[in-house]
Amino acid sequence: MTVGTKKQIVEQHQKNVWLNSAIPAVTPVGAQDFSADGFYAPLDERIIASAAEALEAGQTHYVDVPGIAPLRQAIADYLNATYGTALAQGNVIVTAGAQESRFLTIQMLSEATGKIAIPSVVHPGVLKAIGVRPLTVTPMAVDSRLLATVESIQAALEAGNRLILLESPSRLTGAVYDAATVQAIQTLIVKYEATLIWDQGFAPWVTDYAAAKAGEQVVAIGEAFPGSGLSSWFIGYIAAPTALVPTMQSQKQIMAICTSTAAQYAALEASKLFGDIQRSQLQRLQAARQTLAGLLQAQVEVISGAAANVVAVRLGGGQKEQAISRLEAAGYRVSDGAAFGAADVVRLSVSHSDAAETAARLVQGA
Amino acid sequence: MTTTAPKQGTNLLYALIAEARGYSDAIILGRGDPDFDTPPHIIEAAKQAMIEHHADDVPPEGLLSLRQAISERVKRVNGIEADAETEIVVTNGGQEALLLMVLTALGPGDEIIIPEPNYNTYHDALKFARVNKVSIPSSAETHFRTDPEKVRAAVTERTRALLLVSPNNPTASVIPQDDLQALIGVAAEHDLIIIADDIYDLFIYDDYKHVSPASLPGGKERTLTLNALSKSFAMTGWRLGWVTGPADLIQRTKALKAGITGGTSIISQYAGLAALTGPQEPVQMMAEAYTRRRRLVMDALDDMGIQYGIPQGGQFVFADISFTGMDSAELAQRILSDQHVLVYPGAAFDKERGQYIRITFLQPEDKLREGLERMRVAMKRVLGSG
Ligand SMILES: Cc1ncc(COP(=O)(O)O)c(C=O)c1O
Repeated sequence: MTVGTKKQIVEQHQKNVWLNSAIPAVTPVGAQDFSADGFYAPLDERIIASAAEALEAGQTHYVDVPGIAPLRQAIADYLNATYGTALAQGNVIVTAGAQESRFLTIQMLSEATGKIAIPSVVHPGVLKAIGVRPLTVTPMAVDSRLLATVESIQAALEAGNRLILLESPSRLTGAVYDAATVQAIQTLIVKYEATLIWDQGFAPWVTDYAAAKAGEQVVAIGEAFPGSGLSSWFIGYIAAPTALVPTMQSQKQIMAICTSTAAQYAALEASKLFGDIQRSQLQRLQAARQTLAGLLQAQVEVISGAAANVVAVRLGGGQKEQAISRLEAAGYRVSDGAAFGAADVVRLSVSHSDAAETAARLVQGA
Repeated sequence: MTTTAPKQGTNLLYALIAEARGYSDAIILGRGDPDFDTPPHIIEAAKQAMIEHHADDVPPEGLLSLRQAISERVKRVNGIEADAETEIVVTNGGQEALLLMVLTALGPGDEIIIPEPNYNTYHDALKFARVNKVSIPSSAETHFRTDPEKVRAAVTERTRALLLVSPNNPTASVIPQDDLQALIGVAAEHDLIIIADDIYDLFIYDDYKHVSPASLPGGKERTLTLNALSKSFAMTGWRLGWVTGPADLIQRTKALKAGITGGTSIISQYAGLAALTGPQEPVQMMAEAYTRRRRLVMDALDDMGIQYGIPQGGQFVFADISFTGMDSAELAQRILSDQHVLVYPGAAFDKERGQYIRITFLQPEDKLREGLERMRVAMKRVLGSG
């Protein structure tokens, strides 16, 4: 039997190009996987103990939609201490990972206008979240590091956009805006009475990071306490001005009720250990990135980036396809920049450094 | 305080929950959260997963081993054939599954037929998807039966789907097999997708029988079915559910899932695997407890002279309070303020259902008894003071 309605549904979905973009995995599979957004990290036994203890104590029931109070507070405290914000617990929504943070901010903060401006090179999860309920999208031109330029942000605002999404670090290249540029962007956002979704998920892997200040027309999103071994547990955050919290909280209520308690209690423990975890992971990643970038630099163009967890290289004229197929044939995985909107770029996530040399050789075609 | 709560729908419920929290002696007969904690062997499996699988790869559609266990479960319990590779998506609870089914089947301007009253967040999900609903009202006198002929009469050119929640929340009605077959017939005639919610399928009372639409002739190819472990294994805090359906639709569900949350927590997935493949006695034990408690609630309501639809399944009773002359939001507010007992107003499920309240039996028997006794006191006062 053929079902006409189904055919229509499938056709409509297929036409929705946003929805069909593929998103990278959150955690790599083994040493030869350079494709994930997160990286492998051991799980501290104190995190296991805390999560297990909470479950055994009966924390197996629904909890508050925006998250358990101590975790919301811990996230606010961390952001305040690290980025100089003045967030309270009520500004924080705990999410089931970075993608839910994207989805809730993109879809709910665009309700009034149905529009959003995004960098022409951006994480495919952004495109996917847009595709769930398609919006009118203004792409913003990017510079050589694949960050949206201030001019393009201004142009998008002048064209009537009131919701802007930016990544710093770029999830493709790891490049960041410097303090002066962040200041200029925030001034524009204030001037146009716009809202800025600021994805700072990779920020812990940057030294001297300049953050847009969440809470002042800025909604910051990211993974909660990354590098703590929780990437497969799916735990993220949204830090938003008080007035913007209810709409996202209501939507979270109807699409999830709350975030899993095991992940929340694990993240709460991770918040206590994060100072040490972040320092040691950053050191480890920096060393690994240096090795990888050094090997790659010999023959290909490494795009300038600041985050220690990714290296992006430019491979033009069919080189990229060749490199990816050589890598795949040898059991290696990388991220194709095409999914981000950069057809001649390949992203290698820094996770294990063991396989770096082979990976670099395969990229170079040596 | 006797003012009617100004909020509506899901927000009204959350406002009442917030007030109840302020009372140290509150008895919650509102929220659909089992009083039982998750069975220990499931927690043990989660702990093991934290040690052995904390960084496993998590595809958006869920772990294959879990999807295989789900495939076996829906075959064994529901008679649904669902291929683990292509016809199942694991979700963050039934709630995400619900939104995914709506977004898979429907787009802006489409219509869905909904027997009312119904689980309130379907309305919110439809609003998000900009879908129009066509309501088919039901009442306590018919034990909230949905007449297939009424559904047939409600179909328009824009109708694309039919929602079937059985056992239903809040009415606790179960769709009988012959009605279900007739409803599938209507769906086939008008080429509608069936959105089925089986979340209460393990809690069925007396001689009622739960049948999944996807298990009946003509059902599978047009039905998306959700289920979750929240109610059956007392796992509300884990956020683990799934959608099953024909591969062409499920492929879209998977793409949407990737856009909404990307994946489902690895630890919850392993906990779910343990629930589905481990001992099933805890479910049996809970079902027996609910059977006893259901009787307590029915007896108490009979004593108070309150009419209700026979709870054929689920974890609650939907009672008609129209004789009080009060709106359900106002009555729920009075019962809460006066006796610190939280019941849910029917108005939160459907604004036309202002004459009902929902009473859950998700409290131990002694607490449930006390809650019902306090409710009796509150009702007396309400009726005495008018
Ligand atoms: C009918 C129905 N469907 C789905 C859900 C969602 O349940 P959960 O997300 O906790 O699995 C509920 C919860 O009350 C429900 O009553």
